[in-house]
Amino acid sequence: MAGDYETFEGIYLDLSRQPGKCRFAASGMGWKPSGGDTWTLTNTEISSAQWSRAAKGYEVKIITRTLGIVQLDGFEQDDFDRAKEAMKAYYKVNLEHREHALKGWNWGKAEFSKSELHFNVANKPAFEIPFSEVSNSNLAGKNEIAVEFSTGDGTTNGKKKKNSAAVDQLVEMRFYVPGTVKKGEGEDG
Amino acid sequence: VGDGKGKRQIKRFESYKRENQLPTSVGDLKIVVDIKNQTIIVPVFGRPVPFHIATIKNASKTEEDDFTYLRINLLSPGQGVGRKDDLPFEDPNAHFLRSLTYRSTDNNRIASICDSITEMKKNATKKEQERKEMED
Repeated sequence: MAGDYETFEGIYLDLSRQPGKCRFAASGMGWKPSGGDTWTLTNTEISSAQWSRAAKGYEVKIITRTLGIVQLDGFEQDDFDRAKEAMKAYYKVNLEHREHALKGWNWGKAEFSKSELHFNVANKPAFEIPFSEVSNSNLAGKNEIAVEFSTGDGTTNGKKKKNSAAVDQLVEMRFYVPGTVKKGEGEDG
Repeated sequence: VGDGKGKRQIKRFESYKRENQLPTSVGDLKIVVDIKNQTIIVPVFGRPVPFHIATIKNASKTEEDDFTYLRINLLSPGQGVGRKDDLPFEDPNAHFLRSLTYRSTDNNRIASICDSITEMKKNATKKEQERKEMED
């Protein structure tokens, strides 16, 4: 049974370089790096949540109502039950376990959701691209779509771009999409 | 073992079966070369994403200002390379990731990653060639 709040240490917010303390409470979520400013998310913003293996450890991904995707990485595998319980008690949200594809294949199906492009390999997500990180996309050739990512320190909704925090920054991805492509389709919007 | 119909067998490969097989170094959100598992792992918005050497065509780097750009080209239909021979695609109607470009100020490491990918690809191709010769 969850108490007034649940706290997790060593959590990275949106690929932050510094870890911080993450807290789930009825009013919402908070994150604070040592000596840094507190980030908060009110409970009404929390639409759904997913649990996956990420880079530092396990990730709680929050799909918000108006603020895009929030990623909290660095959870231990054993934190799942505690995080799930807290999400359910405070936000009436089911922390859904999402296993990612690790086959190492480069073919699958690109699908669009509200805030992300999912690339699914053998019916499991291999990676996601938050739309907020895309700076441009165009039809680069016959059946080829190029997606460019911002590498500057730009912000969206007051949030720092995730890519700018990375050591190795993703600049561009190109996709091959079979079939006939109508003129103008895939152009930047 | 050929089926006698002249259809080339698609070689199955898989980088990892379980999440705990990923090297711990993926936590640094940098590109990782895992020679043991013949795989390159790239960070995509916080997610470590493996690509088996069999999906990789080549890697190249260019230097520009303070950055080194690493481009990894992946095998996909319609590239005009070995079109008839060596590229059986398990699902030619799928979407394919065709290339990935990263940039980093860690120039020496990017150069060494690029060399490792090239070397790994060379060895994988050589092995594949030997395997085919054995079959013939």
